[in-house]
Amino acid sequence: MALPSRSTSLPAKPHRFRREPSEGWLAVMLLAPAALLLCGVLLFPMITTLRDSLFVNKLTEPGLGTPFVGFKQYVQMFGDPRFGQALRNTLFFGVLTVVGSFLVGIPMALAAHTPSRVRGLARVALLLPWAMPPVITGLIFAWLFNGQYGVFNDLLVRTGIIQEPLRWLSTPGLAVAAMVITIVWKTSSFVALIVLGGLQGIPRELTEAADVDGATRVQSFFRIILPMLAPSLAVAFIFRSISAVQVFDIPYTFIQQAPAQGLLETLGVYIYRTSIEFLDFGYAATLSVALFAVSLAVTAVYVRFVRGGD
Amino acid sequence: MEDAPPRLSPLERAGRWLGLSALILGGFFPFIWMVLTSIKTEGELQKFPVQYLPSALNFSNYAQVFTEQPFARFFFNSLTVSLLSTVLAIVVAAPAAYALSRLNIRGRGVLLTVVVAFSMFPVVSLLVPLFRLMRGASLLNSYPALILPYAALSLPVAILTLVAFFSSIPRDLESAAMVDGSTRFGALTRVVLPLSAPGVVTAALLVFVNSWNEFLLALSFNTRLSMRTVSVGVTLYQGEFAFPWPLIAAAVVIATVPIVVLIAVFQKRFVAGLTAGGVKA
Repeated sequence: MALPSRSTSLPAKPHRFRREPSEGWLAVMLLAPAALLLCGVLLFPMITTLRDSLFVNKLTEPGLGTPFVGFKQYVQMFGDPRFGQALRNTLFFGVLTVVGSFLVGIPMALAAHTPSRVRGLARVALLLPWAMPPVITGLIFAWLFNGQYGVFNDLLVRTGIIQEPLRWLSTPGLAVAAMVITIVWKTSSFVALIVLGGLQGIPRELTEAADVDGATRVQSFFRIILPMLAPSLAVAFIFRSISAVQVFDIPYTFIQQAPAQGLLETLGVYIYRTSIEFLDFGYAATLSVALFAVSLAVTAVYVRFVRGGD
Repeated sequence: MEDAPPRLSPLERAGRWLGLSALILGGFFPFIWMVLTSIKTEGELQKFPVQYLPSALNFSNYAQVFTEQPFARFFFNSLTVSLLSTVLAIVVAAPAAYALSRLNIRGRGVLLTVVVAFSMFPVVSLLVPLFRLMRGASLLNSYPALILPYAALSLPVAILTLVAFFSSIPRDLESAAMVDGSTRFGALTRVVLPLSAPGVVTAALLVFVNSWNEFLLALSFNTRLSMRTVSVGVTLYQGEFAFPWPLIAAAVVIATVPIVVLIAVFQKRFVAGLTAGGVKA
């Protein structure tokens, strides 16, 4: 692995060029700024969160001071119905939106992969939802789903699917459906882009050979294309799962408009409220550790199966 | 057209056409609807069945976006924060990516895995500690309060993108430069960097879009009106029960234009960067 490269990659001529610091030191110098930024801004704060979760720290009750309480706030968390609800919501939305983004994203990738004169336009259409700020996506869809003048209601009434406009955001079940659709619209793009990368890596000869052998398009999709996409799908799945666990912006914007808040509150939103709105930093730290643990579990799966595989 | 595959049945042709139309319509419709909403009047909006096109072009909502809130200031703040985050991330990521793709480092695979793991860091979990850190350093309501976390959060993506591009540059070119008397640093600045310009552009675009779109930290750290960014600014037009949609739509359109322009101009770079894999949603 760690053989000196100079001797292997260069012809064995007399070394006339200047001597340089050894590669080990060079590597340390080149990597140091990145390590510093990642550790200082991400890792160190995360470690302090572990510590903070063991102390009470309520800005609303300065008289309490900041006493050490051990795992008391963890006990509080497991008995907190709002935490339970937020965790269930997060996992519920997570499963639905991850599955949904694959069901929509894979056909999107196939459509964008087909050669056509509108390929450039298709590519922008593919990128737009991915690049759109999530909070703006939330606002846009809240308007599309508007209960009085929303265009989705209009289309459903015009096509005769429903008789009366639906109050999407103020009916609990419909608000959940609206949020799932919004998140799926926003995130399918990402799945499609990763899958597109996979499709571009499949040699054309392979599908052509299957064609010659008399396989139908459907057969060659399921027998050849899909298996070859497996690595891309795995990568997309892990990253989608991670971002699904952390979802904040879209639920936050929907909650501003929908009274069915309990059903839409994800773990991310609950942490935001506990810290920034209720100013309970100790308990917010505890909740953050819980979210971090869930993310870490998904990351571990990634390291084990995707990275470990190659 | 160039490489149309042979033997397309009419059914397949129709399927293809349908798929492409659905993709294009689905991708653009929400944005187009916002543009239409933004040039309607409140009266035209409050109709059901919906009036699809405005009766007249009406740009007064756009003017109002700037008079009702300091939106120009929000825009300037977002631009400053996003550009500086991008510069910081690239300046830090480029040497690291160079080391990871070119030098013989023991445990290179482990380091790359660590980088990927950092890209999965939950931002929400960092809210409290970063808030306290920024408050302790008196950085709340400042540009660095956002630039530092934005650069750090996008650093893994920037490093991975650059590693992929650096690795695609033939080593021989660099070796040749070094044989000719360049130092490794010289080879980096004169050979590797110019050749990896597309990679640097791709990485920069990804960092810029991430930073422009970020909402949670901007919402929590920079609460003073004059320090708000665009992503938070668009949410300030609504009251508790009032949603002036034409106005919100106009703000949304202005806030999204930079993103739309970037992806239209650099669509190939974006697709190349994202399809390289391992980039966060």
